[in-house]
Amino acid sequence: MNIIVCIKRVPETTDADISIDKSGKDIDKSSLVFDLNEWDSYAIEEAILLKEKLGGTVTVISMGGEESNESLRKCLAMGADDAIRLTDPAFNGSDGFATARVLAEAVRKIPYDLILTGTQAEDDGYGQVGVVLAELLGIPHAAVVNRIEVQDKRLKVHRELEGGLEEVVEIDLPALLTIQTGINEPRYVSIMGIRKVAKKEIKSFGAPELNLKADEVGLSGSDIRLEKVFLPPVGEAAEILEGKPEEIALKVSEILRDKGGLS
Amino acid sequence: MDFELTQEQKDIQKAAREFIQGEYDKERILEWEQTHTFPRDIWKKACKLGFIGIHFPEEFGGQGYGVTENILIVEEFCRKDSGVGIALSLVDFSSELILRFGTDQQKKRYLIPVTKGEFISAGAYTEPDHGSDITLMSTTALKQGDSFLINGTKTFITNGCLADFFVVLCQTDPHAKPPYRGQCTILVDKGTKGLEATEITPKMGIRMTSTAELSFSDVRVPVSQLLGEENKGFYQVLEFFDESRIEIASQALGISQGAFDRALDYVKQRRQFGRRLVDFQITQHKLADMATKIETARLLTYKAAWNFDQKRIDPKLTSMAKMFAAKVAVEVADEAIQLLGGYGYITEYEVERFYRDAKITEIYEGTKEIQKNTIASALIGKLK
Amino acid sequence: MKEIVVIAEHRRGELRDITWEMLCKGRQLAESAGANLNAILLGKGVNHLAEALKPKVNKVFLIEDERLESYNSETYERALVRLITERKPWLTLIGHTATGMDFAPSLAARLKMPLATDCIGIEIEGETCSVIRQLYGGKINASVSFVKQGPYMATLRPGAFPVLEKDPLPGEIVPLPSPLAAETLARRFLQYVEAAVAEVDITQADILVAVGRGIKDAENIPLVKEFADSIGGVLACSRPVVDKKWLPKGCQVGTSGKTVRPKVYIAIGISGAFQHVAGMKGAGTVIAINKDPKAPIFNVAHYGIVADLFKIVPVIKDKIKGLRKS
Ligand SMILES: Cc1cc2nc3c(=O)[nH]c(=O)nc-3n(C[C@H](O)[C@H](O)[C@H](O)COP(=O)(O)OP(=O)(O)OC[C@H]3O[C@@H](n4cnc5c(N)ncnc54)[C@H](O)[C@@H]3O)c2cc1C
Ligand SMILES: Cc1cc2nc3c(=O)[nH]c(=O)nc-3n(C[C@H](O)[C@H](O)[C@H](O)COP(=O)(O)OP(=O)(O)OC[C@H]3O[C@@H](n4cnc5c(N)ncnc54)[C@H](O)[C@@H]3O)c2cc1C
Repeated sequence: MNIIVCIKRVPETTDADISIDKSGKDIDKSSLVFDLNEWDSYAIEEAILLKEKLGGTVTVISMGGEESNESLRKCLAMGADDAIRLTDPAFNGSDGFATARVLAEAVRKIPYDLILTGTQAEDDGYGQVGVVLAELLGIPHAAVVNRIEVQDKRLKVHRELEGGLEEVVEIDLPALLTIQTGINEPRYVSIMGIRKVAKKEIKSFGAPELNLKADEVGLSGSDIRLEKVFLPPVGEAAEILEGKPEEIALKVSEILRDKGGLS
Repeated sequence: MDFELTQEQKDIQKAAREFIQGEYDKERILEWEQTHTFPRDIWKKACKLGFIGIHFPEEFGGQGYGVTENILIVEEFCRKDSGVGIALSLVDFSSELILRFGTDQQKKRYLIPVTKGEFISAGAYTEPDHGSDITLMSTTALKQGDSFLINGTKTFITNGCLADFFVVLCQTDPHAKPPYRGQCTILVDKGTKGLEATEITPKMGIRMTSTAELSFSDVRVPVSQLLGEENKGFYQVLEFFDESRIEIASQALGISQGAFDRALDYVKQRRQFGRRLVDFQITQHKLADMATKIETARLLTYKAAWNFDQKRIDPKLTSMAKMFAAKVAVEVADEAIQLLGGYGYITEYEVERFYRDAKITEIYEGTKEIQKNTIASALIGKLK
Repeated sequence: MKEIVVIAEHRRGELRDITWEMLCKGRQLAESAGANLNAILLGKGVNHLAEALKPKVNKVFLIEDERLESYNSETYERALVRLITERKPWLTLIGHTATGMDFAPSLAARLKMPLATDCIGIEIEGETCSVIRQLYGGKINASVSFVKQGPYMATLRPGAFPVLEKDPLPGEIVPLPSPLAAETLARRFLQYVEAAVAEVDITQADILVAVGRGIKDAENIPLVKEFADSIGGVLACSRPVVDKKWLPKGCQVGTSGKTVRPKVYIAIGISGAFQHVAGMKGAGTVIAINKDPKAPIFNVAHYGIVADLFKIVPVIKDKIKGLRKS
């Protein structure tokens, strides 16, 4: 089975102090650590597991600047066979739709049976790139997938719904799935993997190689535009409990008594 | 001049960081520390991923990289946790002697299992009466037919109670003049009759690493266990130190960085006198000093590693790196405790452990005084 | 006159909360823009749902077909492409749910309609529309505009829009013939399955102690477990904790987990991503413990404690134990 995985390198922000940059349209990323998007790490692991079971190849594709090589190399080291980076100044500012359009042109150049993407990205959270990509390629898709069983030329997949419910669907190959976290346990990168990567070349394509015109991609090819970012109104409701740990503990016990009926 | 790590080196650094972050678990580690337990499952995983013996050639189970790549891993491991980091970085201690001087058969027999997580190695040089000065050893290995008969005591031997084999520095010719021309390194397997290991405990730091006394009483090993040429043991060990001391420097470097990370995190949160500690200029200057020292230690350590990988032996540079990085580790960990105040003194906050673990880097594999002797003799030699 | 349509989401014979949320927001938008508010309902044997929708809209467009009995992106898309192409609504609203995430992007792409996903705010400004979305897991908000002229499509975040009582509209059910032909589908619905249930039912607890990724490792779970025990609470968690297999799936609170309404909910080391919040915002009192003062969880909590959980939780536990003994 030949699998394509679309991935993205994103800043890690959960534990970080974040502030808005000078443009007012993004956060200041200068001191942030970047890594493979969490959802994508499950997608690449799933692809490698399928390859290990069924044979075939795994190709990773990322649209992004040269720094995306870091995440592409990580995927190669985990076990992917090939990596392609899509880089062009014209791609800057692409929304989810424009991103999918760029990816689609790259995917068309490669034979595949299955495409995996993450369900969403940690940074912009569009949750749309994979499904749009399927539409542009004219192949069936399923979003928010947390289990895959291969049955000949079909897949049986579980889609995660709300409230602990799952939907089981059957889907013909070639198909695209957006992968949900928890579907597997992404592996560590091994030194053997890194050695393998060192010999690999990461191909890079720009807009001309993909036959994309400048107005089809980037800001001008996007349907939506980010005007400005701002901090969400913080602590509207929360009364911050201050003081020594013991004092805070006392307040918590009072709240538990008053609101939770704890004697 | 190029101060940039290669892409591959950066990838290795990142892989090591992600691995140790994934395995790091404070509660478990504090328990291991208290019970003097070696982090066995992390060691096994590290081997499986190729971190251990990364600097051995492929044919002997390694990954064919150099000291630089090895010390990048050691630094990351020690940065996340000084105790686990040191324990892991020493599981192959002295294996490099086999790499440099062993026969192909010895390399296959000992090195491959080390990389696979089947063997732990140890190097036994120090004796109760011979520490900094190993020019004469009381442990003797006398040739009798086709075997050596070993008698004596070695002390402070890292991995002593865990190791599967030992590289033992012995006096083979007690009459050699000077005596260090009559020394050999001999490979002794665990469980050989007459060999006994006793844990030396409790100790100040590196408590997840075993430190033991070895006693050899009529231990008989075949002459094929001799490492390299006869009577070259002393020289072999000095040559080995030239590599291994860079690894100790990187342990120290990682510990400094780890202590610094924790202190920085803390001073950004802790408030006194209505301000965060980090808002006081005194704190800022402390951070600046710590960071500068760490960066200097890093430059020296990386340079020593790079130089070694260029196939150049420069004991002076190695000793400078080891001495300086170790000193920085002790100073930075000390300052980290100070920045955390009373909390810094409490086990749960880790920096006191980093401090205790840092101290060993100023002692083993040549005390800082011995490093200075090495540096000075190189300098004076040049002046002549 | 402009038209705003809401694609009604339903499952197993029931309309889902997001539908009411969209209708309420849709009503407000329709009023401000002088537009009609209509709903589209696809399914089989869903007349009762159409009836329920009626007072909330001007028209309910109802397409019933066996092939629409269970949700399937392919049949949904086919039916909707036809309907939307014909009616050309100025704004189409879809839920940002597991269902909406599955069909809205491809539907918009096929219709070449601009789409803004996961909106937590949406307003009509003259001939265009602007939305608010969240970035970086809810740490930053962004105001986003559409570049081109309408029609537009937007998916709305569940739980982000309140449901308010409004005067009923003179709704009318408009049954439409199914545009679906007997063709083979590349994707087929098989069945629903319930994820494995936990031993303890977290939906029944009065006090829930929920732990998130901030707990760092499985080995630290006992710390919060003991705390929960000490206050007679039950342990729950956010999704990453389940993904990493530190706690069973049945403990998960949020859109893909359980919805809970305890008297007191204590969120420990949880950032407050909307998928989590959606499952616990019905709690009587929420106490959040997080070391990041900017964590979005503090926006939904009644009480906040900005501290390292490893330091504060043991103190609270001991204090309460002490108090309860005396
Ligand atoms: C935890 C631990 C693990 C160890 N692991 C190993 C191991 O795996 N293998 C091994 O062989 N050894 C190991 N050692 C031993 C270590 O290498 C020695 O302790 C160290 O070399 C110092 O020797 P000593 O303790 O005998 O001190 P001494 O040599 O007695 O030194 C005492 C003091 O005198 C100073 N001094 C000595 N000579 C001079 C001089 N010429 N000029 C100025 N000052 C001098 C020293 O610097 C030191 O400050 C370990 C030690 C410890 C504590
Ligand atoms: C389709 C879909 C469905 C989803 N369903 C759900 C769902 O049902 N339930 C759910 O929870 N999530 C769900 N998610 C995932 C959701 O988007 C978030 O990724 C998740 O909720 C984050 O969990 P968290 O808050 O535990 O972790 P993080 O966002 O990583 O937050 C960890 C928090 O811990 C704090 N912290 C770290 N260390 C400490 C410390 N020592 N002391 C105090 N605080 C500390 C940090 O400041 C941070 O705020 C879903 C996602 C998708 C795409």
